Amino acid sequence: MTFFSRLPRKLIRQTQGYAALWLIALVLWRVQNWLPLWLLGIAFLPSLPLGIAWLRQLRSHGDRNPMARSLVLTGLYPFWWHLAVFLAEFAGLHEVRAGLVSTGLLGLFLIGLAWMVWWLERASRRIERSQLDEVLRGGTLLVSPASAVEAHEQAARRRYWNPLDPRAWYYGRGSRKLKQSMLATCTYGMAFWLSVMTVSQIRGCRPNDYELPAGGGQQKTVAQSVKIQKVIRRKYVVNPYSSIKFSVPPIDDVKLQLQEATAHQYVVGYGEGTGAGFAGGTQRGKVRLIRLEYDGGDWNLNFGIGGDNNMLLEYGLLTQQKVGDKTEAIRIAQLAGFPSDKSPPLVFITGQGSLSVSNNEVKVLREYLIDKHGLLFASSGSQHFHNQFLALMNRVLPDVRAVPVPMDDSIHRIPFAIPSFPYVVPHGGREPLGWSADGRWLVYYHPGDISDAWADGHSGVSSNIYNGCFQLGANVINYGHVEYAKWLQARGKSK
Amino acid sequence: MTNDKLRGRTDWIKVRLLGGIGDWQFQVYPATEFASVARRLLHYMLRCQSSAKAVKPPRQAQWRRSQLLPLVLMACACWSGLISSRAFADELDDLPIDAWKQLREVERYQLQIAEKYWREQNWITAAAEYEKFMELYEKSTGAPFAQLKWSLAQVKLKKQNTAIKEGFQTVIDYWPESSHAIAAAYYIGRTQKEIGRTKEAKAALKSLVAKHPQHLVAVYALNELIDLATIEKDVPARVEHWKKLTFELKRTRDSSATCVQASQQLALHQFREGAFDEGVKALATTYNAAQLPSYVHSYVRVPLSELVAQTETKAKGETLTNQAIAWLRQATPADQSMPEAKQIARQILFGVADLTALAQRDDQVPAAYETIVAAFPKDDEALGRLAAWYKTKTNYDKARETYLRYADKNEGLGLVGYSYREQQNWPLAEQSYQQLLGQDAEHKVRWKPELAATHRGAHKWPEAITVYEELVRDDLSNAGRWRWEVACTHRDAGQLKEAIGHFRQCENFPENYKQMAWCHRQLKQPNEAITLYSQVSSDKASAPWALLQVAYTREEAGQAETAIQAFQQVCKKFPKDPHASTAHAHLQQKYKISVTLGGANEE
Repeated sequence: MTFFSRLPRKLIRQTQGYAALWLIALVLWRVQNWLPLWLLGIAFLPSLPLGIAWLRQLRSHGDRNPMARSLVLTGLYPFWWHLAVFLAEFAGLHEVRAGLVSTGLLGLFLIGLAWMVWWLERASRRIERSQLDEVLRGGTLLVSPASAVEAHEQAARRRYWNPLDPRAWYYGRGSRKLKQSMLATCTYGMAFWLSVMTVSQIRGCRPNDYELPAGGGQQKTVAQSVKIQKVIRRKYVVNPYSSIKFSVPPIDDVKLQLQEATAHQYVVGYGEGTGAGFAGGTQRGKVRLIRLEYDGGDWNLNFGIGGDNNMLLEYGLLTQQKVGDKTEAIRIAQLAGFPSDKSPPLVFITGQGSLSVSNNEVKVLREYLIDKHGLLFASSGSQHFHNQFLALMNRVLPDVRAVPVPMDDSIHRIPFAIPSFPYVVPHGGREPLGWSADGRWLVYYHPGDISDAWADGHSGVSSNIYNGCFQLGANVINYGHVEYAKWLQARGKSK
Repeated sequence: MTNDKLRGRTDWIKVRLLGGIGDWQFQVYPATEFASVARRLLHYMLRCQSSAKAVKPPRQAQWRRSQLLPLVLMACACWSGLISSRAFADELDDLPIDAWKQLREVERYQLQIAEKYWREQNWITAAAEYEKFMELYEKSTGAPFAQLKWSLAQVKLKKQNTAIKEGFQTVIDYWPESSHAIAAAYYIGRTQKEIGRTKEAKAALKSLVAKHPQHLVAVYALNELIDLATIEKDVPARVEHWKKLTFELKRTRDSSATCVQASQQLALHQFREGAFDEGVKALATTYNAAQLPSYVHSYVRVPLSELVAQTETKAKGETLTNQAIAWLRQATPADQSMPEAKQIARQILFGVADLTALAQRDDQVPAAYETIVAAFPKDDEALGRLAAWYKTKTNYDKARETYLRYADKNEGLGLVGYSYREQQNWPLAEQSYQQLLGQDAEHKVRWKPELAATHRGAHKWPEAITVYEELVRDDLSNAGRWRWEVACTHRDAGQLKEAIGHFRQCENFPENYKQMAWCHRQLKQPNEAITLYSQVSSDKASAPWALLQVAYTREEAGQAETAIQAFQQVCKKFPKDPHASTAHAHLQQKYKISVTLGGANEE
């Protein structure tokens, strides 16, 4: 009696039902944008007790059966792995989530590889056994050696096509087993890779729509007012013959205390609405800072809490606009999933390593920048990334040449006047570069690691530099949103 | 020697030509002026080449230079094309002498102050001084000029929008009749192009060309339009603008360079398209009949080799080759009694042979060069080029045979030795040079370095050092150079202590100190290396590099904490230097330290 036949029917039925529910929840998680995360959590969490129930069954019935143990553990793996990924995302631990995804994928690959090896070995043994049985049934060896040789030659002349059979003609004459294993590993690797690519494409279908925060504002530089306050120092009457030594302050000396304050005489944003925001925005809309994920390097440099989240919070404080709770990350291909009127006005990209972007992603990025009126805000984390980014831009916008962004451009003046360009280190020169078309910046490139200045500790740079970097970041984010709002408004009018 | 011909009106630009050909040292490097000087230098080179008055280079390098010259010409043409937009506008922002005369003394004085700051590239003060002029002498004839220069100062200060709206446009609005208004209109287009507003720039520049077709700005505007068409990969527009510049516009002193460049670019384009006659026609607008064959050959080389290299365009390349060779042959002077005519005929033969080689007609190449040898028996250049061609075909034996046919036997043997070195056949190379030292004792200073280099290639360090030591004694004028070679040979041989001793005797600080420090690092003597790097840091240009090396040295010595501090010091002390970027990235990647203490503001 096998392990599975001894199991309670109720558990099997429950598992089948849950598997279906889990699949639906998984698909919804990847493609929807309206189902709340907690609801998905309710769908994913039962995999934990159900898995424990299976393990207990395994312990009570089938602990001596390695096959049953392997099958149960293999079955549990995707459920629990996905649960861990979901919980990491739910908790906002994006780096942990990214790590779990990649290591989990590796684990899945290795488990699949182990099963493939087992199955191949089993199948080829069965074939060999059947051949042996056939030989023994014929009894040729006992009858005459000549006929055995003849039978062997006949077998050698025959062409076998079955890849599970080590005698298949395409394995050649020597090291057939090795060649069979190589072929199987390559086929499995390719199939696995194709599956992963297909699933990742599904993910790009429908990201969360981007909605601008409702409101309005003017396109003006924030006025800096400097209040000079005279503070008269307290004067002491000192006995000059006292044994206590005082350094007597000059009688007319006054300390000038400069208090810098920003006069918020207007609202940062664009349009006629009330409160800081943008025309065409919605009440639930928020300014979000979306990071682009890419292959090859460290897309998540200074990502999330303690990193670019500081910039998002600072933007909210500086502009009084509604901002998202935390920064987000999407793959470049996912940009295609946004409708053009609810597309992110700005996406951010940075890193230190290589930047590997496929031709399809290049096309998506070009469409995003030109057709969806997006803005790519890039920051270089190393000299290597600088070169990689310029090469990428040559592919994305081959007909546009990078130019230094003027210091009196609106992107450097609104809402905060940036008198001098702040940077942490000059990874790619000391002036910002821009790619523009039709009088609008499509790409704003900061060559001096602006995300390091935003991160906790601000890389140890002085306060005027990191504050300058926050203001510059706010300007770029605001510029992207204002241009997008203008475009939406113009589209609305033309309709 | 200071070349007076190269001095423009801006007398503070100094260009010095030191030593022989190919050893130029530029003293001033501002981008616009440098480009302008480079353009003039290019023309000077062309004149030198055509008049054959240039200093004759040593014969060994002669054939290489003649091979390289067309490439250099092409590179210069392309380069000057790339930077032309910045270089060409110099003459528009000058105040004519007559206008200076019309100014009152006080006005002239104020304007000269502003000009002084302009020349010193102190843009903020210069802008303030021009502004002061406009406030004080609003009705002066120099006011539009001051406004124009104020606007240009804003461009330099990266405030291009201010320059356009409040500067150039003001010149047009307030002084529409002034010649500076036309210049301002051009600068608006150029500045718009510089900040990526290509559509507006194109419109502004096109209208300028239409309004002032014979003015100098039309030439500059067309040049900018060519650049824009290049960005947009609009080939028909480029060709149209090139044609206008080449055939339609009048060439003056200021516009000539742009027109010449346009004719060259047009010729290159036509040759690439296979329109040989059109290309020749374009070049004929720039060069006279005597110069033309040489330039046709120079400009047809690259398109021809490109066409022949691709299977799809090979047929076009073949046709172009036939046309070019036929044209060169018909350009050969019938009467070669005069030396000039003979020289032209020789150049044409060289051109034909070179094009035959480029067209990969390998069976015809030796014959083409042999024709030259037959016509000019004592001319080793043809043999040198033939040998070089054999070498490109890896037929070194044939190349050596050819070198041995040299009229100058020593030169030929030297090249034979060099060919052995190229093949890393050290014994035969050494033998050749030893033979040379025996038969040409008069020039042993020339052959000994070759012998020493051969020993170094063969890793015969003591022999190489001995030869260099001899050179230190024999060639006193270059003793420092040979001492450096001795030190480098010791270093390559792994005799680091000896290398340090010799580097110490060299006088090329800080390079020798850098090498000494490196040797100490290899000897695991970090403290000595750090002391030397500290001394190197007294050289301002090397200071960031030296501090970074201190950090690496400490890291190698296992002093992680002090190494981190040193890396942070690089970022803190030199936040604008590229080495800060290296230190920053290293701290983040190796030590996972984000606090790197850099940070700067670019004014």
